[in-house]
Amino acid sequence: MAYQAEKELQEILGRIHKTAGSATNSAQIQPLLARAKINLLQLNALIPARDTPEKHLKLARDVFEAGAFVCIKFPDAEGFTRYFQQLQPFYDLPEEMLSHEGANKSRITGLYLLLLLSQGDTSGFHTMLERLINAAYAAEKNGTGKPLEDDEFIQYPRKLEEALSEGTYDRAWNMTMVEKVPGPEFAVFSDILRDTIRSEIASCAEVAYKNLSVRGAKNVLKLDSEGAVVKFAENRGWIIKDEHVYFPTKEADLQASERDNTSASRTIIENMLSYARQLENIV
Amino acid sequence: MADSMEGVITTSDSEPTVSESSKVVNDIKANFALLERAVTQFDARFTLRALRSISSLRKRLTASVLAEAITLAYPQGSERGLELIRVTGEDPSNIPSNGKTGKVENGKKGEEPIPEIDVYLSILIMVYLYDSKKYQEGAEFSSDLVDSIRELNRRTLDTLGSKAYFYFQLFHEGLDPKAPSKLSPVVDIRVKLLAALRSAVLRKDLDTQASVTTLLLRNYLSTDDNNQAHLLVGQTQFPSTAPNNQVARYFYYLGRIRAIQLAYTEAHEHLTSATRKAPSNATAAGFYQASMKFLVVVELLMGDIPDRALFSQPKLEVALEPYFRLVQAVRVGDLQNFARVVQQHSSSFVKDGTHTLILRLRQNVIKTGIRMLSLSYSRISLRDICIRLGLESEESAEYIVDKAVRDGVIEADVDHEKGYMQTKQAGDVYATREPGEAFHERIRACLALHDESVKAMRFPMNQHRLELKNAQEARERERELAKEIQDGDIDEDDAGGEFEGL
Repeated sequence: MAYQAEKELQEILGRIHKTAGSATNSAQIQPLLARAKINLLQLNALIPARDTPEKHLKLARDVFEAGAFVCIKFPDAEGFTRYFQQLQPFYDLPEEMLSHEGANKSRITGLYLLLLLSQGDTSGFHTMLERLINAAYAAEKNGTGKPLEDDEFIQYPRKLEEALSEGTYDRAWNMTMVEKVPGPEFAVFSDILRDTIRSEIASCAEVAYKNLSVRGAKNVLKLDSEGAVVKFAENRGWIIKDEHVYFPTKEADLQASERDNTSASRTIIENMLSYARQLENIV
Repeated sequence: MADSMEGVITTSDSEPTVSESSKVVNDIKANFALLERAVTQFDARFTLRALRSISSLRKRLTASVLAEAITLAYPQGSERGLELIRVTGEDPSNIPSNGKTGKVENGKKGEEPIPEIDVYLSILIMVYLYDSKKYQEGAEFSSDLVDSIRELNRRTLDTLGSKAYFYFQLFHEGLDPKAPSKLSPVVDIRVKLLAALRSAVLRKDLDTQASVTTLLLRNYLSTDDNNQAHLLVGQTQFPSTAPNNQVARYFYYLGRIRAIQLAYTEAHEHLTSATRKAPSNATAAGFYQASMKFLVVVELLMGDIPDRALFSQPKLEVALEPYFRLVQAVRVGDLQNFARVVQQHSSSFVKDGTHTLILRLRQNVIKTGIRMLSLSYSRISLRDICIRLGLESEESAEYIVDKAVRDGVIEADVDHEKGYMQTKQAGDVYATREPGEAFHERIRACLALHDESVKAMRFPMNQHRLELKNAQEARERERELAKEIQDGDIDEDDAGGEFEGL
């Protein structure tokens, strides 16, 4: 029984790897993955236990990794996150139980980080990064494993996040170019990231500039043509007058803050009354 | 006193003299009486008093002292007594048989002592095992102990039980492989701790609930399972009446979790509470330092610069030296100097667990640099900014300035065509609501402090009845009061005050 399942698994894995390259939609691979998982269940290897043989562990890891890559290729963020979490216990196993040879740990972790970044989940991103950095320090101390700085798959999202939070958007922008990404899977996120960067720049520009010439705006916002600037400005509600872009939000903000000041008197009265009440209680 | 004792012990070749060891045994014996009183009067304060003496006993504990104390507590030939002696490493047959006196002291012939005394002795044994670094024995012993405490299910055991769990965790931390390895024994004991938390909540056992919650957080953070720790905080309630030390620990861990999640304002609030609640005596200096380190880094991340006076506190001066250098680098906004400091002290930052937070500081250094520039120049070209901050390109400089303006770091306008940044004239702060808000914050804090101290006052139970022994007098007063109320020149609030005065 176990032997049979094992054999079938190996065969399915081979087919997944073969079709993954040529498949045009995920429906072609999903049934294979589902069958592989049923076989894993029969081997009792979905979750690693102390007595699971290394062979089964390796098979399970390969199936999940294949699944994760499929989810990246045909974008399915939820599916990828699920596979990533299922892989965690396997990556945490010590070398004696499961050889780290042939694992795609850093590639998949890097992709996960990039996914978090593209979703704007910075707190999740840093929580994950904290774990990686600490693990890398511990491994370095034991003499096993290399420092995180040498791992290009992890460094890529890290550098990108650094550029975004510093505000060096030009650097971040250049990093999304096809020739800069560390692997073909990473390019999937480039479009989303570029949109994110552009809207970040736009929200900064609204406040920082009094006005911008259309040509200047094209450069600042990294748009292809002046026509695109006009379109982009319309979307954000900016006004274009005499070849210049004006940002109405800035004026609205000023007015709002003035109105705020008048409503402040109300809160001050409320505060005073509460002090009086409290003093009454104390005396 | 404890210090001088320690000195004597070391000079007299590890075996204390007879008079000293009997003194220690007497101290321990005095606590038995306290524990018995705690059970008969059902008042946890006596237990606390017994526990408080542990820190002074700690340095004087030896295997023979413990064995002697055990023979005093247990009747001769008691299985449990012999077992406890064996754990201390003494040979039971070597103990001079003073079992007779033990029975007399207890006043109950041949009876086993109450569980509280048993657990108290076990805690002392654990302290001894931990100090002599016998982690393996300690781990086994403490596992059995916490199991039996859970089965006993006595409310008078709660405070002792929480202490037992504390050592249970400590012993397992000492075992190899140590955290953050995922195979560390601390991962295995989570099941037991979670079960303990569940029963503690069901039994309204606040002491164990508080201490197990903090232990679990510590456990999760030791293996970098920040997500689990975050979920635990979200799913559980920390008892508001928990002992001060547990509250301080809880806030410390909470602050760390929030700092990792970039919720700096919250982290700052929790860490401030932790440092304020930290005990001020010398034994807890380590905790104070650890939480101060995190607080300093979080303050930097928020863009604030900690007070210089902080670093000249005698308790912190040496321990926080690397952080002092760090603050200096950030304050000036010098990227090169910052990188140098991080490089130089990286080993101590790694040890403190703050290095990942410190790596995030880079952007703050840049922000401070820009703020300095905007303060000193009313107009500066982007090229100059680029040179002064050591940035890669003018384009980068422009984007960084844009972002600084949006984030409210500086008040400025950027001219894209001519390539310069123009600082706006700073408005008058006193014309805004800011001072008012700051005052409001402070007044609220003072009022809250007053409320808290009123709540914290303690009155002895039933004391007021003694004063009312003279029933006649009491009735008279009541009549008077009733008359006053009828007359209407006294309102409800004042009447309440009168009653308190009685």
